[in-house]
Parts: sequence; structure tokens; C-alpha cells
Amino acid sequence: MVDRLRLAVVGGGEVLERYHIPAINAVPEVVRSVVVDVNAERARRIADRYGFPISSVDLGDVVRHADIAVVLVPNGLHAPISCELLAQGIHVLCEKPMARSSEECLSMIDASRLGNAKLCIGHNRRFQQHMRLAKQILSKGLIGKIVKVQAEEGSPNDWPRSAAYFDPIMSGGGALLDVGIHSIDLIRWFVDEFQAVEYEGNGTDKTSESEARMRFDLTNGATGSLTVSRSRNLAQKLTLIGSDGFLEVGLWSATLALRCVKGKAFQNLDRLEIAVARRPPSDGSFAEQLRNLVSAINGEEDVLVNGHVGMAAVEVVRRAYLGRSQGALHRNAESK
Amino acid sequence: MLHNQTYKVSAVRIEDHDDLATGFRCALRQLPGLLPQVLPQQVIIKPNLCDITAWETGVTTDPRWIGVLAGELRAIRPDVKLRVVESDAISAYKTYRSCDETFNRLGFLSAAHEAGVELVNLSTCDAIEIRLDGIPQAVRIPQLLFEEMHFISIANLKLHGYTRMTGILKNSIGLLTDAEISSLHPYLSILISRLHKLCCPDLCIIDGRIGLDGGGPILGRPLRMDTILVGNDALAVDETACRLMGIPSKEVGHLEQTARDLERKLGRVEVVGDIRPRLFCFDAAQVHSSIQSKFGNRRLHQRMEIFSNRWIDRGFQFRYDPLGFAKRAISKLARSRRGR
Repeated sequence: MVDRLRLAVVGGGEVLERYHIPAINAVPEVVRSVVVDVNAERARRIADRYGFPISSVDLGDVVRHADIAVVLVPNGLHAPISCELLAQGIHVLCEKPMARSSEECLSMIDASRLGNAKLCIGHNRRFQQHMRLAKQILSKGLIGKIVKVQAEEGSPNDWPRSAAYFDPIMSGGGALLDVGIHSIDLIRWFVDEFQAVEYEGNGTDKTSESEARMRFDLTNGATGSLTVSRSRNLAQKLTLIGSDGFLEVGLWSATLALRCVKGKAFQNLDRLEIAVARRPPSDGSFAEQLRNLVSAINGEEDVLVNGHVGMAAVEVVRRAYLGRSQGALHRNAESK
Repeated sequence: MLHNQTYKVSAVRIEDHDDLATGFRCALRQLPGLLPQVLPQQVIIKPNLCDITAWETGVTTDPRWIGVLAGELRAIRPDVKLRVVESDAISAYKTYRSCDETFNRLGFLSAAHEAGVELVNLSTCDAIEIRLDGIPQAVRIPQLLFEEMHFISIANLKLHGYTRMTGILKNSIGLLTDAEISSLHPYLSILISRLHKLCCPDLCIIDGRIGLDGGGPILGRPLRMDTILVGNDALAVDETACRLMGIPSKEVGHLEQTARDLERKLGRVEVVGDIRPRLFCFDAAQVHSSIQSKFGNRRLHQRMEIFSNRWIDRGFQFRYDPLGFAKRAISKLARSRRGR
């Protein structure tokens, strides 16, 4: 067993301070080592504030002083930075989406194999308590065969977005890749693989979309729709309708509602609201995600969201965008 | 609008306490339709195992019920999966009772083995937390309740210092997977009513061969009553039990609450068969001081309990089982640190 892994963060943006610093604090198996950011002043500020002994603008410092790197840079830099680190044996936790294309994803997987390093993709929602509970309920087949999936997520004020989010080259996509990929990953985890996808969005070649809707068929025969937005408030929930009931999970809140037609508890009740918010009071999924990577490095368990899982979600988005470039299904853009 | 439907309960006198099967069959014959013609794959049986005390004291369920029920149910569906469920508990006397140990020491383990029935400790199976209307805190219930089942509840004929009597409705408290539920005591009537809505028994059996007079629900005088009550409606069966013990059902808080929630009137029960009521007398002197205080100063106690019981229970747990307490505390601490 490796004793206290040295941890580096690459990129000192909002997501680091809001989610990853509390996660690092909650995992005693790691010790803070290096902060690397393209902006030296920002790297120094982060290092001073959160107790990292080294701040740097050089990625080489990560290789020299760390065992794990948490990569929190714009989408277009995920692959080059992760590949460089992985190839040199640094384990990487890379924020979602894994990369902009399947080719970039594959290069990361290859680098991980080459450097014998673990690669984990930040689909943190799989580690949320209510999502795990939902997975457990689904695995028991309590709502029967899933026949329909509906997901909605979006808000104009959910995240302080930098310019990189709106640059189609750097971001690789808009709301679907940035926001919708969470739901895509959950649907794959909960139900099955995506088979056919049909996309509508308002992006152009020069701007990434702020509104997207994807209709899809899954390999188990279920159909569904995913609506994402950066400009309006949506329901923020994922609903799975089965042959024997439904399950509804909150995408922004730890809520879980359930109905199983045959279940004893539903003889007199239409639905049950599961109280998952009581413990813990805050979202511990980022800490769980980091802990999963540490355990995988120590050989205690497998990485739950590995490179292949991350790539599969990116491929779904790419297939959706491919429909757009062919012009057949890009209805909103066409109408403009 | 209140429902005026009358609910039937089959009552059978059984003088030979060893011939349980004949008594039960007689009750079924008296009121046809008590058992369904088609059973689901799974039948859950919930006995009353509130203490490690033999059934002859009137405190717990006779393990022979397993064999009797297995025989009747398999006659309807030979491949039926039978499971007997109970949970761990911390009693009013602040003693911890392990469900597995209870199954073993009361003879349920051997009875289940003989009858090919599975025993399930609800406290160790997958559970889920839900909020029930009117209860300020979340309660943990087994995920088993989300499955299709025929639910059979077997209770005893007992007095209860806090709720006056305990029967089918009160028996559902054992479906909660947490052993420590004293903080829910101030909301007992509402909780019992909500649990009834959540998991309403399809067949209710009150084994009143021996009743428990005096203190209850664990201490008291065993009293020969030689009666079995069987019905499909939990409220009606409990009301009949009240009648048998000479307790006005309107004075039992959880019966009144359940009737209100079901929009029903109490007293709409038709007993098919013979019952011979006998006045059960609550004897406060026989009751443990903790129950006495609850009974005597109910309102004050209800308020104090909310604040103090958790800490009192932890103190007792530490005193009687320091090692177990330390293990639980460490695992709880680890869970909270890991954000689970």
C-alpha cells in the first residue's frame, strides 16, 4: 500500500475551489503537493490559500512532485495535459467531459496504459448517495424493464463560465457536452448504451449551443429525450419510466422518488419520496470520486469511471453533433 | 365521508394449545376468503419477537406458527417463497436485542429450517430512508417493502403501558430497520398509522391462546385466553383484541389515529365465532419505571424524550455493551467522514 499520495492540481478555476478542495480535505490518504496554472499569480494564490507547498506554471513540477494530478483545465486541454502526465506514470483524475473527441479519449487511454497509471473521469454524479441508491434499486429490477427516459437540466446561472466554454474549438461543444454529458453518463450507467441519437440545438460553426435537445433509443429498446440549456431554468431531474413503475432522481438536489406498481409499499401510496438528503448534509461525491481513485491506485478496487466509460459518453455527444453537421436534424439552427 | 363498511374477524376457541394447525384451519373455514386463491411468489411473515422470552409467557410469537402457515400457504402455491422478518431492537428497558439471537433462542431457527423458510434480519438487509407525513424525522424501512408480497402479521394479545394495547398495528413498528426508535415514541400513533398505510397486512393473526395481563408488553401475568383471531383487516382484528381484553378501542391512540386516516369509524367489526372477553388490568406497579414515567407524565415525557432519549440510549448502550457501542460509534464516524 502506498502511504499518502502526493496530489497536484492542474488548473485553478472555480471548480477547484468549490468542489475539489473540500474533496481533497476529506481524503486523508492524499497530501497536497503542487498547484499548476497558466497564471503564476493565481497558482500562488491558490497554493497559499489551501496549503499547497509548491505553485508553478510548469507541468514538469507535477511529474517531479506528485503521484496524482487532478486536471481541471478547459476541455481542449484535457487530452494533451492528461496524456503527458499519464505517460510519465502520474495517475489522473480528469474533469468531465473526458475530451473533445473519441481520438483524444483514445490517446488518453493509451497514455494511461503506457505509463501504467490510473485514469479516472470526473463523472462525479455516479458517486452521489441518491444516484447510488437509484442504481441499487434499478439493479433489483423493482421498476421492471425501463421503457422511457427523460432528462432535463439547465439554468442561466448555474456556473461562472469562462470564455473557453463558448469557444467551439476549445470547448468541443456546447450545453450538451458540458451539461448534458452528466445525464448521458447516468443513463448509460442506469439503463443501457445509446443506439440511435437525434439532435436539435442552436449552435453554429462559430458558437457552441446554449440549448440542445437529444432524442435517443437505447439498446434495451427504451426511448428517451435529454433537454439541456444554458439560458433557461429546466426541471433538473432524470426520470426513468419502467414497465412496473418509475424512478425520478434530482440532478441538482439529492432527491429520489419511486413507485413500483407491484410493491407492497405502493398498495396505498402513489409514490415515495426517499430521504437521501439527511446524511451527509453536503455533496460528498467529489470526495468519493477521489477516494475511488486512491483505492484503485492501492489495488483495493477498480476505477468506477475509467477512460472507456468517459469515452463512451463523449462518443454519444459526438454522434449527436455528427447528425447536426449533416444538416438533417439540426432543426433550430436551420430555422434561424 | 366516513366509510360504514363492516369488517369481519374470525375468532376460534382453542383449548389444546399444541393443536395450532387445527385451530387455524377452523378459523379459515369459519370465514372463507381469509387466504387468497392466488398467492404472489413471496410471502412475508412478521411475528412479534419483542423480547427473548418463550411464547408461553404471552410475550412472543410461538415458532410453530411457521410450520402451520407454511403448510397452508404451500397448499395454495407450492413454490411460494416464505420469509420471516424481524429487526434488532432496543427495548423500553434500554436493553439491546439482536434479531438473529432472538430467532435462535426462541426456536425460530430450527422451525424455519424444518419448514424450509428463510429468516430475515431487517436491520442487516438493504434499507432506505423515507419521510412519513407527520413524523419530523426520516425513518429507515427495508427495501423489501418495494417488492411484491403477501404480508402476514402475527401478534400477541397484550397490554402495553404506553399505547394501552399492542396487536397487529403496533407489530408493524418492527418493520423499521433501526434498533433505536425511542425518539419516535412521541409520534407513535401517527407512525403506526403511516406504517399501516405503507405496509398493510393481508392476513392478521392475533394469537390469544395466552394473553399478557398486568404490565406488558414484556412483563406481566400470562393469562389463558384460548382464542385465536384471524382477519384481513388489521384495525378490525385489533379492535376485536381490545374487546377481548376489555379495553375500549377509542382509548387506544393508534387505533383511533388509524381509523381517522382510513376515514373509518371504530366499532364496525363483526366477529364470526366465539370470544369470551376478560378484563385485563393494567398494573403500573409491574411496569418498569421508564414506562411508568411515560404513562404517568405522558405529555412532559413526550417533550423530554425528543431531547434526551438519544443520549440516554447511548449511555445505556455504552454501559451494557461498551465493545459493541465502540464498534458502532467507529463505523458511524467512519461513515460520516466518508460522506455516506
